[in-house]
Amino acid sequence: MIKLESAHIEEVRGIRKLDITFGKDTFSVSGPNGSGKSGVIDAIEFALTGKMSRLTGAGTKGLSVAEHGPHVDKTKFPDAAFVSLTVHFQELGKTATITRKVSAPKKPTINPNEPDIRAAFDEIAEHPEITLSRRDILRFILIEPTKRSEEIQAILKLDEIGQTRAALNTAANRLQSAQKLAATQIDTSRDTLQRHLQIAEFRAPDLLSAVNARRKALGLPEIATLAADTKLDAGLSGGDKLPEFNKASQLRDLDALSGALEKIGPAGAEPATVILAAIARLEADSSLLDTFQRRALIEKGLELLDGAECPLCDRSWDDEDHLRKHLETKLSKSGEAAKLQAEMLGAGSTLAQYSARLSGLIAPVAKIAAGHNDAARLLLDRWAQDLETFRGGLSDLQGLVGIKSRLERGWHGLPGQLAAMLVAIKAAVDAKPDQTAHVDAHTFLTTAQLRLDDYRDAMRKGNAAQKAARFGKAAYDAYCDVMETELNALYDSVEKDFSTYYKAVNEDDEVKFTAKLRPSEGKLDFNVNFYERGLFPPGAYHSEGHQDGMGVCLYLALMKRLFGDRFTLALLDDVVMSVDSGHRYQFCKLLKSYFPNTQFIITTHDRLWAEQMRSAGLVTTKTSLAFHSWTVDTGPLVESNEEIWDEIAAALSRGKVETAAHGLRHHLEYASRHLADQLAARPAFRSDGNYELGELLPSVLVRMRELCGKAADAAQSWGNTAAKEEALSRKTALSESNGARSVEQWVVNKAVHYNEWANFGKKDFEPVIAAFKSLLECFRCDDCGSWLYASPKPIPESLRCACNKVTLNLKSKPK
Amino acid sequence: MSTLQKTIADKFLAKLAEDEDFDSKKIKQITDLLAADKKPKADDFAKVFASDAGDIE
Repeated sequence: MIKLESAHIEEVRGIRKLDITFGKDTFSVSGPNGSGKSGVIDAIEFALTGKMSRLTGAGTKGLSVAEHGPHVDKTKFPDAAFVSLTVHFQELGKTATITRKVSAPKKPTINPNEPDIRAAFDEIAEHPEITLSRRDILRFILIEPTKRSEEIQAILKLDEIGQTRAALNTAANRLQSAQKLAATQIDTSRDTLQRHLQIAEFRAPDLLSAVNARRKALGLPEIATLAADTKLDAGLSGGDKLPEFNKASQLRDLDALSGALEKIGPAGAEPATVILAAIARLEADSSLLDTFQRRALIEKGLELLDGAECPLCDRSWDDEDHLRKHLETKLSKSGEAAKLQAEMLGAGSTLAQYSARLSGLIAPVAKIAAGHNDAARLLLDRWAQDLETFRGGLSDLQGLVGIKSRLERGWHGLPGQLAAMLVAIKAAVDAKPDQTAHVDAHTFLTTAQLRLDDYRDAMRKGNAAQKAARFGKAAYDAYCDVMETELNALYDSVEKDFSTYYKAVNEDDEVKFTAKLRPSEGKLDFNVNFYERGLFPPGAYHSEGHQDGMGVCLYLALMKRLFGDRFTLALLDDVVMSVDSGHRYQFCKLLKSYFPNTQFIITTHDRLWAEQMRSAGLVTTKTSLAFHSWTVDTGPLVESNEEIWDEIAAALSRGKVETAAHGLRHHLEYASRHLADQLAARPAFRSDGNYELGELLPSVLVRMRELCGKAADAAQSWGNTAAKEEALSRKTALSESNGARSVEQWVVNKAVHYNEWANFGKKDFEPVIAAFKSLLECFRCDDCGSWLYASPKPIPESLRCACNKVTLNLKSKPK
Repeated sequence: MSTLQKTIADKFLAKLAEDEDFDSKKIKQITDLLAADKKPKADDFAKVFASDAGDIE
């Protein structure tokens, strides 16, 4: 699998233009709500898969990547919206770039465009589950067992496994049906042969006895054994061949058909009644009929499904999986119709067998009729054809519903005048002179051989059908056995890993935590131990924070099972927001120790959590990005962005004071928070860590003055005049700054508070910007531009910059 | 193919190989079918099972 090296995002979602260097490392993107963090996840997901989960799935009707993927100002220019990712493939040892435009999500540009790289990108495109959002967590935890089963099966691609199982099942059923039909044909051809031979039991000695009696009459040697290639008429030379007419045999064939016609009413009546009753139910209940018709249509759609285009309505879906799931969900909602369908198809199969047997009786009589009555022959041929067509309609629902009137008239479709015609033909055959014993024996043997050939042919086909059905069943059984074993092992290992991860995050209070994940009849029950009081659903007693943790842990366990060692990338979009700060450190430890080879791209709106990721060593300053705000014109505004003053000035030049004020305030928020940390400022402590700008910046000013004063005193004590002047110069600049004066006024006069900036006029706001710009310069090195910092903490000994040009000693000479 | 799918496919093929009725040619056909399409069709399986079995109507 892959790791991300860098991303270039343009005009996608809320982002105008953004470059990020991930460097194949775990990376955090933080910022307040609505600052564009999730846009980064959307963009990466889009580049890799061509989709954006946020715009698909439940609750997203009417949303689409094509319409809502581009920045809101570029919806009419989707060509301008694109993402370019540089990706490293560990297994290939190669790096490649993929660029995907919103206007052509299915046609990414890949460079280098090599087959193995294309295949690797294709594989990733099939795994949207690399992205986890909080909405996804609810899919695992707070959901009914049947839905959980579906969701987890989808994530693990079990739907594909299920489809292979279903295809094997359908193949096995079809081959079994073919075998049944072949068996019916064997029975029919055997009956025809048996009737001709006039033997009660179909056994070789009885057959040979009947045949040898005729062979003896013709002076031919008896046949001792019946082998696969035995010719019953062996010894009859070509010149001796006589017409196939065998009076006695023809009379028996005619009697057989006439006898069948006499009983044709009751025969097949039961299955026909079942089908008619089912049709009546459908007609009585219009909703059931609708469901039934939709079901037939959906089944056809599923059969024809091949790609993301719906074969029923031509609508284009994001992918085939979503479309298949949509159709399958519709099917699953029609349980009553499904039961009725099974009844109808069963009855249809029985009726098909009756029909095949009748066809077997018609065939020899049609041949007899050819010599006597052309009209009768035509009628019999048509009837045989009609029965064959009738059988064709018995294997599917539409066909069954369509034969209602046929079933009401009589399923067999017996031609009215046939009985009389058969009487006439029989009379004609009967009227023929009795055949001599020689001719009778001769035609008996030739007819027997023809019918034995038919029987052997039916047997060959029957054996082949039986073999194929055996293959189908054996393969289906084998697949089910393997699937069941593997799924049980999967759920066992997921359960074990999940418990291990969850305990790692909650080792302080849930060290004896256990969980049970058990599949049963399409459900996936998930219960967790609550402080050794028993197993309960996750939402029963555990807090929201614990549930969030469970969701992520279950996700990680599933990913580990799905990808094994190839789990190298996951995009976690604001997923641990309800986990408290203590457990977040443990979460960092979990990711670092159990997934050392996985690159996590983690977004959060919680500044404290972003800082914890850094202090826990999960990310570094280089591998974290913070947005301080967002505007529709600029997209996300990056903290410590060198161009922030240009962006503020640009907004002001366009007369957008509110945007400029927003940008200034957020930059001050970022800078004061950063400086408070760098300089070890001492604002009034807040347990929630949510310091306001009005609390932080004044304490930063106080702290800087204090440090500069200390530096001047220390320099004085060491006799370092230059350092003393530098320290005093910084302190003076700070005191003279208009910005500093404004900050001091915030504390005493709320009326001049920064909250009012958005209401300023352009002219009034320009000096405010200039004042704060010059104020912040007091905290930077003139050379390298880095923020000054006090070191070490908590009792600093020096005030420094990154390039060491500023190095002010804070320790005075001991007296 | 994901790890799980591949594991199931491999074990399925190994199980078929233990069945004397399934010769190497048929197993190769099923292997190819599973490799070519993540969602093989019932008709394709039916064709493989019916091949070399003789005539089936």
